[in-house]
Amino acid sequence: MKPELNYAAPFAASTSSAELTIRCRGVGMSFKKKNVLHDVSFETEKGTIVGLLGPNGAGKSTLMRILTGLMEPSAGTVEVLGGKPSVETLGKLSFLPDRGQLPNWLTAEQWLGYASGIYPDWDRALERQWVRKLEVDASMRIATLSRGQEARLQLLTCLSRRAPLVILDEPFTGVDLLSRESISSAVAEEAAAGDRTFLIATHDIREMESLFDRIVLIGGGTIKGVYDTEALRANGLSVESCYREVFA
Amino acid sequence: MPPDIIWHVHDFQIDPSRPLYEQFVEQIRAMIAKGQLAPGTRLPSVRETAASLRVNPTTVMKAYQELERLRLTVTHRGQGTFVTDEAEAIARSRRELARTAVRRAEELAASIGLTLEELIALAQEEE
Repeated sequence: MKPELNYAAPFAASTSSAELTIRCRGVGMSFKKKNVLHDVSFETEKGTIVGLLGPNGAGKSTLMRILTGLMEPSAGTVEVLGGKPSVETLGKLSFLPDRGQLPNWLTAEQWLGYASGIYPDWDRALERQWVRKLEVDASMRIATLSRGQEARLQLLTCLSRRAPLVILDEPFTGVDLLSRESISSAVAEEAAAGDRTFLIATHDIREMESLFDRIVLIGGGTIKGVYDTEALRANGLSVESCYREVFA
Repeated sequence: MPPDIIWHVHDFQIDPSRPLYEQFVEQIRAMIAKGQLAPGTRLPSVRETAASLRVNPTTVMKAYQELERLRLTVTHRGQGTFVTDEAEAIARSRRELARTAVRRAEELAASIGLTLEELIALAQEEE
């Protein structure tokens, strides 16, 4: 049984663009002659948590780089926070890159001090709150942090900014269970304020499926389906079973 | 003001293939019916609930709105959400839960060709 498409009416043009944080239309990307992305279209609404799910090599990281403005698509249109991805929109979004590295010669505290100087939207009160809740020991040198501690510090760096869009690329790679739980708890708590949108690429569907409002399934460089999770469940499908049916 | 209780992940049994909001409503409703959540108990906020259960905050908000619609909870602006003090609202919810349980038991009895009364009588028969 294939899940019925269009639970989320992904391409409905009726949603007013003021409420959209990301809008991709027919996005394509090719390197030399290789098509990495083609005809990618989806939208995310303000204040929602959207999962970008798909197997390795599906094009998730490339898509995220396009959204941040680090790469320009070869085809289609992209709108992020109401504009074309640029230095200006990059300043309004918080991006956690896959396998990103923090300067490991600094202590966590030095790094946060440095970051608060780079980002104009840095919020010291948010920083203090997340240092406490994510249990980051600020005196430790980054080089000596475990993978889980480093992942929490990276998330803390993203959440201490008042950026209205947060893009997380595989925040769980190599991260232990308890750190994964504290990361998803932090995302749920931040999303509760309703003014931030999260786009999260992950393979850890079980940890995150209860968090998503919507999932965007991507495989072979194109969108395989966009579903609202509660609508899927109303049809008796979990996020995991939907993923299996689409990619099996 | 801190809530009177804090939810833990193990307070709920969540089936990932059913709407989460429905399951929160059902389970909190049952806790109120059983008296496990006493009248006047202050519930954790949407934000606290989303964080401690690691679930989508919109889902939690919908569940809280439904509980309020069922008159099982009341929200006092700036103070939070409380289990109702109205005994009649709780009694009504208990009746509805009892009716649903009986309907299910009747279906179960029918699946083995019995009425509910026959099922109970048969189960109570001496060897």
